[in-house]
Amino acid sequence: MDFGLTDEQELLLDSLRELLERECPESYIAELDRTHQAPTSFRLALHEAGFASLGFPEEYGGTPCDAVTLMMLTERVSQQGLNNGYGIELLQAKDILEFGSQEQKADILGLLAAGAVPFALGFTEPGAGSDNSAMTTTAVHRDGTVTFNGTKTLITNALDAKYLLVMAKSSDGDDERTAISMYLVPMDAPGVSTNKLEKIVWNTNDSCEIFMDDVTLPESCLVGRQGNGFRQLMRNLDLERLVIAATCLGLAQCAFDDAATYASQRVQFGKPIGSFQLIQLKLTDMAIKLENIRNFVYKTSWMVDQGIPLRSQGALCKRYAAMAAFEVADDAMQIFGGIGVNAGTRVSRLWRDLRGHRFGGGTDEIMVHIAGRQIIREHR
Amino acid sequence: MTIVVAYKWAPNPQDAAVGSDGSVDFSRAKSAISEYDPVAFELARQVADATGAEVVGVTVGDASIDTSLARKAALSRGLDRLVIVADDRLAGADSTRLAAVLAAVVRGIGDVDLVLAGESSVDVTEGQVAMTLAGQLGWLGLNAVSSVSATDGGYAIERDVPSGTASMVLTGPAVLAATTDAVLSRVPGMKDILGAAKKPVEVLSLDMLDVSSAQVTLTAVSASRPAAGNRQRVIIDGSDPTAAAAELVGALRAAKVL
Ligand SMILES: Cc1cc2nc3c(=O)[nH]c(=O)nc-3n(C[C@H](O)[C@H](O)[C@H](O)COP(=O)(O)OP(=O)(O)OC[C@H]3O[C@@H](n4cnc5c(N)ncnc54)[C@H](O)[C@@H]3O)c2cc1C
Repeated sequence: MDFGLTDEQELLLDSLRELLERECPESYIAELDRTHQAPTSFRLALHEAGFASLGFPEEYGGTPCDAVTLMMLTERVSQQGLNNGYGIELLQAKDILEFGSQEQKADILGLLAAGAVPFALGFTEPGAGSDNSAMTTTAVHRDGTVTFNGTKTLITNALDAKYLLVMAKSSDGDDERTAISMYLVPMDAPGVSTNKLEKIVWNTNDSCEIFMDDVTLPESCLVGRQGNGFRQLMRNLDLERLVIAATCLGLAQCAFDDAATYASQRVQFGKPIGSFQLIQLKLTDMAIKLENIRNFVYKTSWMVDQGIPLRSQGALCKRYAAMAAFEVADDAMQIFGGIGVNAGTRVSRLWRDLRGHRFGGGTDEIMVHIAGRQIIREHR
Repeated sequence: MTIVVAYKWAPNPQDAAVGSDGSVDFSRAKSAISEYDPVAFELARQVADATGAEVVGVTVGDASIDTSLARKAALSRGLDRLVIVADDRLAGADSTRLAAVLAAVVRGIGDVDLVLAGESSVDVTEGQVAMTLAGQLGWLGLNAVSSVSATDGGYAIERDVPSGTASMVLTGPAVLAATTDAVLSRVPGMKDILGAAKKPVEVLSLDMLDVSSAQVTLTAVSASRPAAGNRQRVIIDGSDPTAAAAELVGALRAAKVL
């Protein structure tokens, strides 16, 4: 078993470090967090350096890249303290590159190249969160057009994006595997309106409700095959969970490093607090969790690269990473004492941002729901 | 036409440990392209893109500088090919000897009319190699170069001089040492890094080069950090800016700085 980096991975991480130092210092991230802005200039710099098309097929100007390397880059960007800074857009674009029409592909790649967020993912509805089959948004195909009606909620980045990748029912029936289709709906299409949601996490990503009232578009907005939307979405979902896990790993590592540095400097009772065993115990358990998350993320990525079916592995990894990373950030905050809960401290931002990852991509509990059933099935 | 980038594979200062006596221990530092050299790569690439010249990287040092990582790190920064002299007889070599070896390599490449280098290496920081190389080659040598661009039959140069910026044009071969902020060097992307493994590398033996063996031995005896100075630790209350400015001027006069 080789845990070493290849030359290419080492050089890529060096390049990324240079880019992060230049384009994404803490002052930049803190300002984006304070003003609720997206990291657009950093995304653009990532694109210019060729990081934003890693893993895309060469015919679309991309560079093939394995999952292990992609997760290393994702981890490194979040280790800088930036949440959701890398990876998610890549995977979402993959949905379009795999299933979209030529026009859709050209459009999405062009937006990515401009540092923009091409689309948000519209899945969740007020009545359908964990339970996808309860989805009520409809897409009615008639005479070469599709008409959408319904409400989506908790949608990330939609206010910043040109399109919404809408999951909607295009036929009756509760079976999500045949009733749901996938569409690219322009956010400025007539009949689309939004209501911004103010959340206490992920300030660099906007969130909103989206209302679609008789939104009528040419049928060319369909992505892939009608009735195949759920399967198309699932195709990259394991990788998306892996990106979330790698993001959690980097954010937690950042919190850990901050806390360990603080512990070695903050003096109480005449000594650095890091000399107290209770603080050392926290740091030790945090280090163990980080090591476990890291092993989990990279082993799972390696399985993806080997083509080994993940079965419950993706859900296990996402659940463990999101929960353990949050625990690390929580302990980091404790080590900072009272200033840890002050607005503007990095540890408070990391703590907030990590909390959000226990919902997005499926909740802690739904990961049990997915993995638990699989485990029982395998042992029947 | 060929442009040479002379660079050093040097320990990364981020990994260096500073001892309580001020000494810097690089023994556990990983090596990388010396921090002040990427500007030279970038300037060379920009000039070459404008003129169609070939860019050849040249580095000399002990055997440890020739690893596959070191090769790819250099080649991913816009070089067309690489020439290396890696020989343990060059371990700890002084700047004059390194410049002599570099000069022999540059002569061997032929058709070179420009050598670009960084201001100094990040570990030794003497800033002597580039100008000594110019002397060895018998070429014009200019340091503090902040800009280079191709003109008809030569190059337009800007230099940072104490009085500001000086502009000049030059013809004929030259060795230029660039300031650390002459240009923002681009960050190698995935394509550059993957492409690096496919570019040609030539390893020259020291014995094949026309370099006389070292005549003078130079041995470091001791080193000490600069005197810390006599700090006064005066804090001026800035709530009234005009009064604070007057007080600052008074304090500087009293200290005979002004
Ligand atoms: C920061 C953030 C970003 C998001 N971004 C997007 C986005 O971009 N696009 C999008 O479509 N959605 C997005 N979501 C929505 C997210 O996918 C949902 O929040 C998630 O699927 C849960 O749905 P819900 O919030 O309706 O909770 P519910 O499904 O109502 O669940 C409430 C609670 O019950 C638990 N629960 C539900 N069912 C079960 C069960 N069977 N067994 C045990 N426990 C259960 C849940 O785990 C949770 O604790 C985002 C959410 C957050 C917080």
